Amino acid sequence: MRTPAPAAANLATVPDAAPRDHRGSPIPTGAMIATRLMELRKRRGLMIALIVVNIGIPTVFLVVRLLAHAIAPKSYGPAGGYSIYTGLCSGVLYVFGFIVAATLGCTAGSVDLTEGMFRHLVVTGRSRLALYLARIPAGLAIVVPMVAAGFIIVCSVCVFAAPTRLSYDGTNVPAGLSRSAFGNWAGDHPKLVICNFNFNFGPSSPVPAVVNSIPCGPNGPIVSAPSGSQAGPATVTPAQLKAAAILIALRNYPDYASDFLYPSDSLMIRTGLWIELEAVIGFIVGLGLASLLGQRTVPVILMIVLEIILTPLFSRARIAHLLNLQRSIVGVAMAHLTPGGLPVFGGGGGGPGGGQGNPLLVPESITWAVFVIIAWLVGWTVLGAWRMMTRDA
Amino acid sequence: MSTATVPDTFDHQTETRWAVETHGLTKRFGENVAVNNVELLVPRGCAFGYLGPNGAGKTTLIRVLLGLTHADAGTMSLLGYPVPKHRDLALARVGAIVDEPRFHGHLTGRQNLRILAAAREPAARDRIGPALERVGMLHRADDKVAKYSMGMRQRLGVAACLIGDPQLLILDEPMNGLDPAGMADMREMIISLVAEGRTVVLSSHLLDEVERTCDAVAIVDRGKVVRQGPISELLAGATLALQIECSEPDRARSLIDATRIGAHIEVGSLGLGISLPAGTTRDVIAEINRVLVEGGISVYRLQEIQASLESWFLQVTSRLGAPE
Repeated sequence: MRTPAPAAANLATVPDAAPRDHRGSPIPTGAMIATRLMELRKRRGLMIALIVVNIGIPTVFLVVRLLAHAIAPKSYGPAGGYSIYTGLCSGVLYVFGFIVAATLGCTAGSVDLTEGMFRHLVVTGRSRLALYLARIPAGLAIVVPMVAAGFIIVCSVCVFAAPTRLSYDGTNVPAGLSRSAFGNWAGDHPKLVICNFNFNFGPSSPVPAVVNSIPCGPNGPIVSAPSGSQAGPATVTPAQLKAAAILIALRNYPDYASDFLYPSDSLMIRTGLWIELEAVIGFIVGLGLASLLGQRTVPVILMIVLEIILTPLFSRARIAHLLNLQRSIVGVAMAHLTPGGLPVFGGGGGGPGGGQGNPLLVPESITWAVFVIIAWLVGWTVLGAWRMMTRDA
Repeated sequence: MSTATVPDTFDHQTETRWAVETHGLTKRFGENVAVNNVELLVPRGCAFGYLGPNGAGKTTLIRVLLGLTHADAGTMSLLGYPVPKHRDLALARVGAIVDEPRFHGHLTGRQNLRILAAAREPAARDRIGPALERVGMLHRADDKVAKYSMGMRQRLGVAACLIGDPQLLILDEPMNGLDPAGMADMREMIISLVAEGRTVVLSSHLLDEVERTCDAVAIVDRGKVVRQGPISELLAGATLALQIECSEPDRARSLIDATRIGAHIEVGSLGLGISLPAGTTRDVIAEINRVLVEGGISVYRLQEIQASLESWFLQVTSRLGAPE
């Protein structure tokens, strides 16, 4: 076999050496992330579908409630409020946010391969790991604001369109009062408070004597005065009446606060972070799974099955020999991080402890739940990146 | 794989003669050996044709060279950089189209190139416009790729190669889908790229185009490189073909056979088709004519058929395809 001699080439116009741009580095450049973001953002059909699911559905639901309440307020209650908030957050935004993020993750993890761009990208000499990692910030730059937009809409309606008065122990009370404002309101309405609120004071308290001086109608005040206390009609001053009403109101404040008609700031912040974390998990797992399988449709179906079927099932069914396996499912771990006041996904709970200590769930410590979530995020990233680095292009 | 180290100051331009160099390169898919112990040397600054019948292993070799799949044995280097050890440095100055070029259909041609430029050095972004202009795609650069024809995607693929300002271009069937004018443009562009000092490796079935474009070729069959060299030298080693129209073809064949000159003769409707061994002089042709005339055969036409790359390719690959 003969070998041709090298041709005498005019090399003047060709650069001397390879550019020093750290092409083998696993760290993606800002330009790589920006163009990856552009590639995902320009998928108009996908973006519309994701917006419809994550923002459109709760928005339409709330707009219909707003209109119905505006047209017939006696037939249709206010659009917002605490119960609407908890229902939308744990039943809609949490699940839809995950599905939206998983769909985007599966898209980001597979389209280069299925659309033939992966080969072009590999031929640039850029580290395959960097190509993979560039997808994470790019995808999250879409997922996080999209989920936040849906959540902000829900929060806004639930706060600003909440009922303004709360029927508390049969009394119409303004909603959303702080502890001191609640006390002030009670001071302004002593008779309402004394005659309708529950209270239980010790023998040394002047309250029972004050209460017994107030005629409250057929049933009278609900007094749980201790046995042996002096109870009987007495003359009380308005100041004593006011002081007693304030004391009763402040005793009732925790109970009142749990029935707030719109969510507290701290609950909204914790809920927002919880929903965003679920979306981040959906994206990262979807990205890794799609990269591993090299396609989009099957991973999307698997992710939906995980979220809609497997997670609720394994959250509640206590299978004796599979408890540790159940605890290692990310959805179960996330259920244990449900903020206090929200029901866990699938219903149930809603107490101040949230998912933690919820008797409906498979028992799991917070530490273990956090470990499971981190393991899922890291594990699927490693799996997806490994497959991308070893795959034939 | 080679484990040679490449210092940062290594001057490949002067110290390496070969744009592509492989030794004992092998790639298997199960029992099937797609690339079989390939020894390939592609000189710098030339257009190099890489030819072979379907399934011969052309694309697989290109994929191995570019790191799209791993080799099972052997060593290789691109532009002097051992691959895969210094794959990133090597590919920084390589542009390639492998198989049919495909892109994100929902993006424009320019946006697709921006994605690829982002994976290269920062200067690559500035080359997008000139690259699109060079392949004649500037006027359609802002249309979605989904609306492009096959030929336009081919041109975009070449533009994607050019944004890296490559020293070496590896083009797998770049003429596919191009109309005659597009093929002529592509041919001129390849020639101009070589004139700039770049090396172009061209894998193609269009032997006529390769012959008009390339300086040297390698023929691959069943995963092995079976011939390699400058086209002019290879054709000089091809068999010589004669076409003779004459009376009494069967008797003419007997007369030529009797001369024992080692000719392969076929009798057809047009007369005799004769293949003479490589290196046969024109005196032998004159001798055949003399034998026929002295034997009483009327010779109406005697024509020497110039060997083309296509005829040579068919000779080589048909011989290889014959049962051993």
